[in-house]
Amino acid sequence: MKTAKNLLRTAYAVVALGAGSVTAWAQPTPGAEQSRSVLILGATAHLGTGDVLEDCAVGFRDGKIDYVGRSFQVNRQKYDDIVDASGQHLYPGFIVTNTTLGLQEIGAVRATQDQYEVGTFRPNVRSVIAFNTDSEIPPTVRTNGVLMGQITPRGGVVSGSSGVVHFDGWNWEDAAIVMVDGIHLNWPSTHHRHNKDGKIDIQRRKTYDQQKHEIERFFGEAQAYAAAPRGSLTDVRHEGMRGLFDGSLCLYVHTEDARAITEAVHFKRELGIERMAIVGGYDAYLVADLLRENDVAVMLQSVHSLPRFADDDVDLPFKLPKLLMDEGLTVALQVDKSMTEMNSRNLPFYAGTARAYGLTEEQAIQALTRNPARILGIDDQVGTLERGKTATLFLSEGDALDIRTNSLTYAWIEGREIDLDNRQRQLYRKYQTKYGAEILDLPAPNN
Amino acid sequence: MRMTQRLLSLGTLMVGFGWASFSPVGAQTPDPTFPVNGTYHKALVATVLEHATLHVDATTTIEDGTLVLHRGRIVAAGPSATVSHPGPAVRLDMTGLHLYPSFVDVHSDFGMPEVQESGWSRTPQDLSDKKGAYGWNEAVRPETSAALVFDPSGDKAKALREAGFGAVLTHVQDGVVRGTGAVVLPLDDPREALLAPNASFHMSFRKGSSSQNYPSSLMGATALLRQTHLDARWYAEASPRGMAGGTNLSLEAFVGGQDLPRVFSAGSWKDVLRADAVLKEFGVSTPIMLGSGDAYQRAEAVAATGVRMAIPVNYPEGYDVSDPHLARLIGLDELKHWELAPSNAARLHAAGVPLAFTAHGLKDPGAFLNGVRKAVEEGLPEQEALRALTSTPAAWLGLEADLGSLRAGRLANVLVTDGPLFDKKTHLVEHWVAGQATPMRDRAPLDLAGSYNVNVNDSVYALEVTGEPGKWKASWALNDTSDRKVSLTLDNRTVVLRIPADDGPIRLTGNVWMESRIWEGSGQTSDGRWSDWSAIRNEVAPDADVSEAEDVAEKSAPESGKTSAGKTDASEAPVPSGTAAPLDLSGVVYPFTAYGLPERLEAETVCIRDATVWTCEDEGVLEGADVLIHDGRLAAVGIDLDLAALLPAGVTATEIDGRGKHVTPGVIDEHTHIAVDRGVNEGTQASSAEVWIGHAVDSEDVNMYRQLAGGVTCAQILHGSANPIGGQSAIIKFRWGAEPQDLLLDDAVPFIKFALGENVKQSNWGDGYRTRFPQTRMGVEQVYYDHFIRAREYGQAQLEHRAAMRDAKRKDIREGRGPVAPRVDLELETLLQILNEERFVTCHSYRQDEINMLMHVADSLGFRLNTFTHILEGYKVADKMAEHGAGGSSFSDWWAYKYEVKDAIPYNGAVLHNQGVVTAFNSDDAEMARRLNQEAAKAYKYGRVPEEEALKFVTLNPAKLLHIDHKTGSLKPGKDADVVVWSDHPLSINAKAEQTFVEGVRCFDVDRDRELRDAMRVERARLTAKMYADGESSGRGGKTRPSERIESHYHCDTLTDENR
Repeated sequence: MKTAKNLLRTAYAVVALGAGSVTAWAQPTPGAEQSRSVLILGATAHLGTGDVLEDCAVGFRDGKIDYVGRSFQVNRQKYDDIVDASGQHLYPGFIVTNTTLGLQEIGAVRATQDQYEVGTFRPNVRSVIAFNTDSEIPPTVRTNGVLMGQITPRGGVVSGSSGVVHFDGWNWEDAAIVMVDGIHLNWPSTHHRHNKDGKIDIQRRKTYDQQKHEIERFFGEAQAYAAAPRGSLTDVRHEGMRGLFDGSLCLYVHTEDARAITEAVHFKRELGIERMAIVGGYDAYLVADLLRENDVAVMLQSVHSLPRFADDDVDLPFKLPKLLMDEGLTVALQVDKSMTEMNSRNLPFYAGTARAYGLTEEQAIQALTRNPARILGIDDQVGTLERGKTATLFLSEGDALDIRTNSLTYAWIEGREIDLDNRQRQLYRKYQTKYGAEILDLPAPNN
Repeated sequence: MRMTQRLLSLGTLMVGFGWASFSPVGAQTPDPTFPVNGTYHKALVATVLEHATLHVDATTTIEDGTLVLHRGRIVAAGPSATVSHPGPAVRLDMTGLHLYPSFVDVHSDFGMPEVQESGWSRTPQDLSDKKGAYGWNEAVRPETSAALVFDPSGDKAKALREAGFGAVLTHVQDGVVRGTGAVVLPLDDPREALLAPNASFHMSFRKGSSSQNYPSSLMGATALLRQTHLDARWYAEASPRGMAGGTNLSLEAFVGGQDLPRVFSAGSWKDVLRADAVLKEFGVSTPIMLGSGDAYQRAEAVAATGVRMAIPVNYPEGYDVSDPHLARLIGLDELKHWELAPSNAARLHAAGVPLAFTAHGLKDPGAFLNGVRKAVEEGLPEQEALRALTSTPAAWLGLEADLGSLRAGRLANVLVTDGPLFDKKTHLVEHWVAGQATPMRDRAPLDLAGSYNVNVNDSVYALEVTGEPGKWKASWALNDTSDRKVSLTLDNRTVVLRIPADDGPIRLTGNVWMESRIWEGSGQTSDGRWSDWSAIRNEVAPDADVSEAEDVAEKSAPESGKTSAGKTDASEAPVPSGTAAPLDLSGVVYPFTAYGLPERLEAETVCIRDATVWTCEDEGVLEGADVLIHDGRLAAVGIDLDLAALLPAGVTATEIDGRGKHVTPGVIDEHTHIAVDRGVNEGTQASSAEVWIGHAVDSEDVNMYRQLAGGVTCAQILHGSANPIGGQSAIIKFRWGAEPQDLLLDDAVPFIKFALGENVKQSNWGDGYRTRFPQTRMGVEQVYYDHFIRAREYGQAQLEHRAAMRDAKRKDIREGRGPVAPRVDLELETLLQILNEERFVTCHSYRQDEINMLMHVADSLGFRLNTFTHILEGYKVADKMAEHGAGGSSFSDWWAYKYEVKDAIPYNGAVLHNQGVVTAFNSDDAEMARRLNQEAAKAYKYGRVPEEEALKFVTLNPAKLLHIDHKTGSLKPGKDADVVVWSDHPLSINAKAEQTFVEGVRCFDVDRDRELRDAMRVERARLTAKMYADGESSGRGGKTRPSERIESHYHCDTLTDENR
């Protein structure tokens, strides 16, 4: 039985080796398949179910959680390795929805962009196969506890399909939790917009009615295609839509506006689409009853964003999660406003702000764990710390939702202990070497 | 035959010697240089308009007055009893009519060619495309002469006459310098119309049709105006001596226009203040300014400038507010402007601003008079309104001898109305322009109203006519008692009726006689048989008195009613018990946007008790300490402060319970782009050192309030990063409600923005931008060397000139043979300040190579770089930066958006700090700026900078970098009271700013914020209800469909061309 201190010592040895010799950078090596069972003892566990367990024990083997309970009740002998986590917080891995992580490396370099395909309706386009597991960005994101993401294409009216991945794997196939979880539809604006100077800036090339008609026609055709017996000819676009009509895929409707949201809900009912989520949803609080009654979830726009209207409450974006959860809606947080890729690491702090503006701690955590898992249709696998769930979880020295205290000591993905190092930490160490300065990076273990 | 006529004419001339001697300058006298096709028109007969109410000017009215017009001029005016005209004259009885001087508009484009705006070009255009010996910039067009391009053909002249305009100052509304304007009459013949060909000199901030890149921003346009003034000054001296490097017709024209009245087409009140500042700098003190109709929002500030305002009456139309979701798209400021815009004139007048009205901005000049009437309704005295339409603009143009009053000698520009001008019911009857009449209505329109007995086909029927001239309605009682509608039209004296009789319609045509007592004519019955008919009126319609009484009731209400009505609404709202009256936002608010307040905020005396105080000084963090604010300063910080000893006698402090709270200095953002109007980059040249953000500060940006709610009190608004040498920055305090210039820190040392890397190489601007220097980091270095060497030589030339002036003979200087002063170059002046260390540099930078390069450039030229901003690879050269003495103002954790930020790390701040570099975290982002305290926490998270030091990243350190740490940045007695009270540990995600003081003024308060939200809701509801009531018949409110306003949120690399 290896103790936690041993484990950490190993980690530090690796780091120390790296510090002296790093000249070229490679992404952290994916964690090795879990061969030894692990028991985490003494942490405050935020289960994602809404419950919190003090001084808890969470055990996992073969990538699955097999024990969740109190420290004094667990049979420690059954585990190969014990992690003493007293004083620390344990969370299910956080899930960032609606992100382009792995699709875009550098915003200004076109060659590194893979999120915008050409065309108006292209549901057959799959983002998951373009998810670059060797992107340098996810390692900086998982360092803060964000261990999974919904990789989402952009642009067009139907952008394509998203897939959900773990931020650890040799290639997208290994990383995928689900290859295709849903189709993304950008709802057109129902009104005009103008710039500050008053000159009208028509944002709609066609009228709203025309655009809506085209959407209805496209979805109508896809539905008819799906309902008919398979013929000899295949339309790949319609094939891509099939899952929407049997409930296996979720329709993600991207819009902020109240009117557009209500239009989308009508659309859901007319087409009999089972699963729908609003992505963005700034105005969702105005039509919350409609959303709840029609079982539509909200993947809420960045909590750290500006109010849409000057007259809005200054803190409205901060308190939207609270307003929506009070209405009984399923709310997940996301990072859609600017620099989605790099900002994905700040997702925990969005939840922190939502907590400061009204959510309970466990509600805030659910907005990053169970709720997105439910919306994405993977809550049978991840999102909570429960027996039988995938062992994707992490330990933080303190409150992971506060910048001051978010400090990971361990993270596991499917039971594999992952390397929390990243390129930025390496560069930091490299230049601390230049200055002969102390490396104040990884926190001291169990202090 | 011909001979006889000639003799006759001569005879008349002899007789009328007295009146004929008047010099026939105006229109209506044929130009003798033109050959005549036919016979000469001698214009011998005068026109006498007699027995009118004569409004000689705004203050002189003659009840029974007479006006004599001849050859386009007024030759006599006065009481009918005293005015006689000896010559032949047509006498027109004007009894019951009013005569007014015609209106004068000082801002028109009548007869000017249409201006085509061009858009942002896909490839750079550095120089003017205009052929000829003109200046370098297409937006500077002083050579344009309105008189030379004037073409009055088309319908516009008639439309202007019918709107009441007798003369307009017209100019080509294109460019930053627009050339000379001309005063013209709305007549079809250009020679008759052109009254004063060189009447004015015009400017604006708008670029117009120029396809050139420069200037792309408001601040660029401002700099271009200033430099052009300077260039003209230099050219006037250098050109006659052959030292101007050639002939520049633009500058020559500019020099020629200097003594003309200056008209500046400004726009919003902010642009009015800006334009005034520029013009004052060059000695123009009381320009005529075109406003946009919002100057009431800062009437006092506009009055203080002394400008003369030409104000439009194109008030906003109401919005369709029927859908409450869509109604959210309309900002409170837009709703308020809808209500208050008609009060613009009244409020400006009350503040003492000289006014003239203009039809500028109206699609239909016919709507002009009603717009002015609305202004009168809102409280502008009628006299002032008339003055603003007539004598005031005439005087501004120096044409009082021709325009603006009904006195002998003036042009015969006479507006005839059938009642007092500002009465809603009054019509324009006819309009005489230079003695030529445009009839619009009968002078004495027939009054058909009444009941008539109609005899047709041997039967008598009762016909009832109601309505008013032009809108008559008739009905007909036939056999039974039910009324039937009769169609009735009146054309001059011919009346046409179509009567729905039982056996088919009868069509009648006839004439109206004896003031409508008798109608007579013939008609056809439905079977085509002809028949004579007649009608005799029984009595006069009796309800005239009633409608007049209604009129009076309507008129007396609005005087103060418009706004006070609103106030009543608000004050009737339920008042929560135990609190003061709710905020009333129904008047002007400061600033005029969401969260604006009805009163200007004032500094308070406040003591925050028993708080955790982060001093950011040697004292560190004090537990259970007090902070005393008085007179805008920090009076004391310490435990158990004795206020009686610390405050002057009689002054008491409001106490804030600080238990559980944290108090810190106000957050300072070293790098922001909020609060700027129309462009943050003048990135159209490699250097734009001549532009200053301070010229474009926007005091009405709600982002300041949002950031006050995040504890921010002070920021440096930086120019963007589109070019190696950017523009000068502005350091502002967030004094919520103050005017733009009052946001600036008076004694702040000046800064300028530099930039390196991808932006300045134009790497991400598209393939069109591959030709402008520099395209590489190599070129960037040379931009600096070249510019600084030139600046140094420029300074040398100035010194040499001063020496030469000392040595020159007085006599030579007096006679214009002295040394010619070098051209003042605003760009090189600025760079010279940097070399002299009178101005500091904040340089946008990412990669260590270029950072190192720029430090070498500075070292070799003998100055120090003050701050590297962004500085994401600063951690690689922190030692060199420390040695050079440069500070770093970084993002906490941004990366992955450009290739050059590939090596950015969140530990950057910590490394810089630990290597002795003064380090700050900044925003460059309107959203993140309101959470800078959280960004500071990242200095602890990534690299473990102690929390006290981390907080300084957003307080004391940026103050040091901005050289304002003697005033702000820490809680030290004597410094400005820029103080934030937080609900929690300031670096915690849980912390909320509860009070934010800027120089002792409580610019944000969480309780007042709640009240404001309520008050805004009430005010929106009131305005929505009013808008709805105004357009009740439509069921929607107003006609304008709500449209979402896109706010411009600028970043460093925001390139726009929005100043057209």
